[in-house]
Amino acid sequence: MSTRSPARLVVALAVAGVLAIFLLYTAVAGHSTPTLTPSQIQGKSGKLAVVGTVVGKLRGDSHGTSGLRFQLVDPQGQKTKRVDVVYRGAAPPPLFRVGRSVVVSGTYVHGQLQGTDIVTKCPSKYTSSAS
Amino acid sequence: MIFVGLLLAAAVVVLVALPFLREPVADDDRLDAPSEAEGRRLTLVEERDRALAALKELEFDHRTGKVDDADYRELVGPLRQAAAVALRALDTPQE
Amino acid sequence: MADLGRAALVVTLGLAVYSLVAGGIAARRSERRLAASARNALYCSFASTLVAAAVLATALVRHDFSFKYVAAHTNRHLPVAYTLSAFWGGQEGSLLLWLLVLTGYGALAVAINRRLLRDLTAWVVPVIGGIATFFSFVLVAVASPFGTQTAPFDGNGLTPSLQNPYMVAHPPMLYLGYVGLSVPFAFAAGALLSGRTDERWIIATRRWTLAAWAFLGFGQLLGAHWAYVEVGWGGYYAWDPVENAALMPWLAATAFLHSVMVQERKGMLKVWNMVLVALAFELSVFGTFLTRSGVVNSIHSFSKSSIGPWFLVFVVISSVFSLALIMWRLPLLKAKTKLESALSREAAFLYNNLLLVALCLTILWGVLWPIVTQLVKGETRTMGRPYYDFFLRTFGLPLLLLMGIGPLIAWRKTSLRGLTRTLAWPVGAAVVTGVALAAAGADSSTPGLIAYTFSAFVLATIMVELVRGTRATGSLFLLVARNRRRYGGYVVHAAIVLLAIGIAGSSAYSSSVERRLTLGQSMTVAGYTLTNRGVTVDSKANVTETRAHLAVKGPWSGTISSGDNQYVNPPEPSREVGIKTDWLRGEDLYVIVDESHPKTGLIYVQVLVKPLVNLIWIAGIVFLFGSAVALWPDAREQRRLVARFATAVP
Repeated sequence: MSTRSPARLVVALAVAGVLAIFLLYTAVAGHSTPTLTPSQIQGKSGKLAVVGTVVGKLRGDSHGTSGLRFQLVDPQGQKTKRVDVVYRGAAPPPLFRVGRSVVVSGTYVHGQLQGTDIVTKCPSKYTSSAS
Repeated sequence: MIFVGLLLAAAVVVLVALPFLREPVADDDRLDAPSEAEGRRLTLVEERDRALAALKELEFDHRTGKVDDADYRELVGPLRQAAAVALRALDTPQE
Repeated sequence: MADLGRAALVVTLGLAVYSLVAGGIAARRSERRLAASARNALYCSFASTLVAAAVLATALVRHDFSFKYVAAHTNRHLPVAYTLSAFWGGQEGSLLLWLLVLTGYGALAVAINRRLLRDLTAWVVPVIGGIATFFSFVLVAVASPFGTQTAPFDGNGLTPSLQNPYMVAHPPMLYLGYVGLSVPFAFAAGALLSGRTDERWIIATRRWTLAAWAFLGFGQLLGAHWAYVEVGWGGYYAWDPVENAALMPWLAATAFLHSVMVQERKGMLKVWNMVLVALAFELSVFGTFLTRSGVVNSIHSFSKSSIGPWFLVFVVISSVFSLALIMWRLPLLKAKTKLESALSREAAFLYNNLLLVALCLTILWGVLWPIVTQLVKGETRTMGRPYYDFFLRTFGLPLLLLMGIGPLIAWRKTSLRGLTRTLAWPVGAAVVTGVALAAAGADSSTPGLIAYTFSAFVLATIMVELVRGTRATGSLFLLVARNRRRYGGYVVHAAIVLLAIGIAGSSAYSSSVERRLTLGQSMTVAGYTLTNRGVTVDSKANVTETRAHLAVKGPWSGTISSGDNQYVNPPEPSREVGIKTDWLRGEDLYVIVDESHPKTGLIYVQVLVKPLVNLIWIAGIVFLFGSAVALWPDAREQRRLVARFATAVP
């Protein structure tokens, strides 16, 4: 009886194939988006997402040419760094308001985030009742 | 409320201590001991069930065309033997 | 009252520690009375947890806002159903539910198996005790549901979008699934600890695993349906970490359900099954950690909660424990038979496992990516939809195909000729379907067309199995009744196929148009013409409903409305989308009005047409039915088999 069965080889090849697909994809196409807080955004540019708390007056309309304008600060810790956001597109989700935590995706250019997508966090269900 | 709580706590203590309250001195405290004969029987029952299930599956696969006649003839013999052995061993009274 | 709850949890903690320590000693030294005592402690831990749960439930129903938890998640206006479901609506209550199900399942599993599997069960008790120790510790010391305060007049209430029947059922279903996976895990650990590495633990926990897996799967579909009708972005799955937290253990459990069949029949894959069941269990706890700790950005969690580190410690300790246990018993886990052919049922299950685990691990990698990049590059990066969609297609489509081929292959080996003969008709049916669909326009999406073609293939193979089986047995009913596990499995496969068709249709072939419509203006989407008929504002007791109404002309005529609700108590808004299901054409018209001006009638609207999306929900029902058939115990099976073969054997 041969010690190396072809069946085992086939299975091993299948495993190798799956691994290869994964590595190839992540090397070539698997681009992820930087997800930063306002204090981390210094010096960055391009496609990214900003996590923060909405502050300031909401001005404008997301459907208008000049977009919906607001600012984001760090969700925790220092509130000094602010990011200007100009959001254009569908109206933000209903839970969006000043004081809520959001993630705004878009392009950061010239110190301004041109937002295209807003995700609002559900008001925290899972923090301790201290909140 | 406190009374209810204390009552429940007392019940819990009693239940947890129950095995020791029932048999303050046990001649045979071994976990496995009484089940040795049982364990053998259980193993035989499992072998029988496994062999019978495999037989059933083989027959079903043969009748639905997944196993051809040659393979069926090759495989059914050993399975029948295994089932027979297990069935016979179960019928024989244990010591 | 809160004192009783707190005390009950302390008692549970004590009992859990006792069943862990005493149970471990009793199993190690084979002491019968101590083992029975540890077992009783496990039973009592369920009772004391039940007391704690009753306290919380009573406080909820009585609107006792001196309980911080009750005030945080309910208010006086809340309908009774949502007041009760608030039990699991927050961190502390959901952990209490987890502990309740854990001790309940554990007590039941131990009670059922204590006589037949004495030595194995003796070790299961301390393992369950260990898990219960962790959860009760967290409930006692870190996140107690019984914190008190001076009662405010009214509570915070529940976010309106969560006041939905699907959200009532979704968490308990998931928990019955997550926690249910602890039972096979505990029995696997018990098998390793007691040195009993035969298939006994698998046979004893087979129905537990199937039930937990069914609950977990159905629970996810409930959540997806809620997202579709309530959150209202037009989709049902966003690859958010909280969603993946349920999908990953489900995929691992699916792989496990299949590979145990190989161990039962062939005595192979013993080590692999141990690894898989531990993986499924660890992923279910890890998923809970992810969604509660704030470690990754999720729509559900945000701030770093104090509970995170504890969960992480538990996952690490239990993983190390499982790994050490497996490595220690490796010599006992030698396979009884070898893999003989790459074209055998064993091999088919191996390919199935490979694809399922690969999908599970790629999702895990995507979920962990933000943490990895933060540690390595100092910058958090998030994987987007394209990553997940790519691997779902790349691993999912072959898996779909395998679902059709696998059942037609026999154990040990199958002749290629025989297989080709059997596959001829299903392949033919699939090709014809594919060509017909391509001609009808389905070639607009290649993965979609492939999904449809593969689905037709699998459905055809299931029919082949039904026909051949009925011919062999005589009646379809008898066929299914005598082979519940197999044919229940086929029904589940059919459900997965429906799911695949629904997902393919609603994603690869959906249409979406966004427009700004003034009063009277129209737009067209995929054969529908929608005209803006104006905006109404309806003020009710607790809610102001703003709705834009659109007249629809096309495959059907009518009106569809969408807009926003603004609630008074709690003062929260919610988006209300308009969904009209056309059962005849099998598609949904989905309207999202995200901005409306009542005075001018101006609206901004997004209209989607989602073909076949309702197959996803129908698949859920079929899935449950198939699982029930597979689960259904057949008391007479053994007697029948003995009677039949006793005469046939020499």
